[in-house]
Amino acid sequence: MSNTVIPLLLDSLASAALIFFAAVGLTLVFSVLRVLNVAHGSLYSIGAYVAASICLFIASRQLSPYLSFVALLFSAVFVAAILGPLIERTLIRWTYGKSEAVQILITFGLFLMLEDLQRMVFGVQSLYEDAPVRLLGTSQIGGVVYLNYQIFLIGMAVLVVIGLRMLIRHTRLGRLITAVVADREMAQSIGIDTNRIFILAFSLGVFLAALGGALAMPTSGVAPGLGADTMVLAFAVAAIGGLGQIEGAAVAALIVGLARVLAIYFVPSLDAVAPYAAMLVVLLIRPYGLFGAVTARRI
Amino acid sequence: MLSLDNVQVSIEGVRVLRNVSCRIEERKTTVLIGRNGAGKTTTLRAIMGLLPLDGGAIRLDDDDLVKSPAHHRAQAGIGYAPEDRRLVAELSVEENIRLPALALKLNKIETKRRLDEVYALLPQLHTMRERPGGGVSGGQGKMVALGRALMVARKVLLLDEPFQGLAPALALDYARTLGELRKHRPELALLITESSPALLDKIADRTLQIERGEILAKPTET
Repeated sequence: MSNTVIPLLLDSLASAALIFFAAVGLTLVFSVLRVLNVAHGSLYSIGAYVAASICLFIASRQLSPYLSFVALLFSAVFVAAILGPLIERTLIRWTYGKSEAVQILITFGLFLMLEDLQRMVFGVQSLYEDAPVRLLGTSQIGGVVYLNYQIFLIGMAVLVVIGLRMLIRHTRLGRLITAVVADREMAQSIGIDTNRIFILAFSLGVFLAALGGALAMPTSGVAPGLGADTMVLAFAVAAIGGLGQIEGAAVAALIVGLARVLAIYFVPSLDAVAPYAAMLVVLLIRPYGLFGAVTARRI
Repeated sequence: MLSLDNVQVSIEGVRVLRNVSCRIEERKTTVLIGRNGAGKTTTLRAIMGLLPLDGGAIRLDDDDLVKSPAHHRAQAGIGYAPEDRRLVAELSVEENIRLPALALKLNKIETKRRLDEVYALLPQLHTMRERPGGGVSGGQGKMVALGRALMVARKVLLLDEPFQGLAPALALDYARTLGELRKHRPELALLITESSPALLDKIADRTLQIERGEILAKPTET
């Protein structure tokens, strides 16, 4: 029994880590901007494409493979620094306070544009470079061979959860974000530049999406369609955790990761359905998600 | 001095302020009296830059406030305590009061000075400073909102219906605090809205009447 339990748990954790990266930015952006960004998955796949391109370049020039780790992080920063402020200022800002239908239509339009843009820039073939995975090697845990890269992913996810918590609870920026989330008008009245907070929060969301894509690329590569797949999964996870709840997204990722791995172990054909089955069960019991607060509709 | 000239504001296409002109002078307490829906809150929100103006001008001394974004009001020294408190539930009472200091990037010494000033005026806030903002009663919340606005107010303090929903004992307390505030901070220009003039008779230097989005006749000096 224990022979299956340990690999099952490790697999679940590794799967949860990737799922968490896909969802955390979406839920963060929703909590601060109150906009459900349907194009979030595209930012994830753009992160993966940029990371793959840089890693392939590093491999082709036979530069130090350790550089590919720097490349993963750099891709996320690069994508966030360029696309974050650009998308927020040109598109997202016009949707503040508009109805959800308008927000979803506009970000869906953005999704379509970003998907075609990726085909234009990166082509339609899949890209894959696993230098980071090969570099870290493998280890034996419970008689099963594991990629150390998977364990690295789990560590990165834990780091992001702790980092975000520290940022929100213990920094000036975090306090200001908390105030903006609580009440925008009040935040402006006490001197907070809410536009600046929106740009920063959106860019942080883009960074987390792109980081997720970049970190996933060495294990599964990137191909057209990744953005759409990621978006649907990210939405399921965010809904399970309660939209806008960062810790909720972490717990939801664990649940979905476990559900997926259980499916793969015992009923492999249900792999793809598992996340949505988990979402269905959770939302039937708690319609606002695990950590979502029941809020009265304003007007 | 804060001045409003022919200010016109619409909300959702309905004209709420038709033609509001008034002067809020330093060292004076101005009371704006009006029924529900007369435009009291809208006037304050317009001053704070929270609503776009259809026309008119709002100036602080010689600065045109209309051109600058809403958060500049706090930098200019205008404090605002909305009627419905609006505290951050997750933060403690003191953290709520300190928020403006973080937003305005005040240094430690200045923050401490302003915080001491607030606690001297509102000692009850000091006793409940560690309670969560979401866990104080409505009346206490109004005091916290007043303290938070005082952190910002260097020149002007706007209070929206401060007595609305206060228990009689707390209302008396609040009125006494406002009297104290006049002594502690004589330089402040105070603008207080209310639906009935009764509670503010003693502290009002000038009373303005607003009706259907227009300020009536001449202010009464007392």
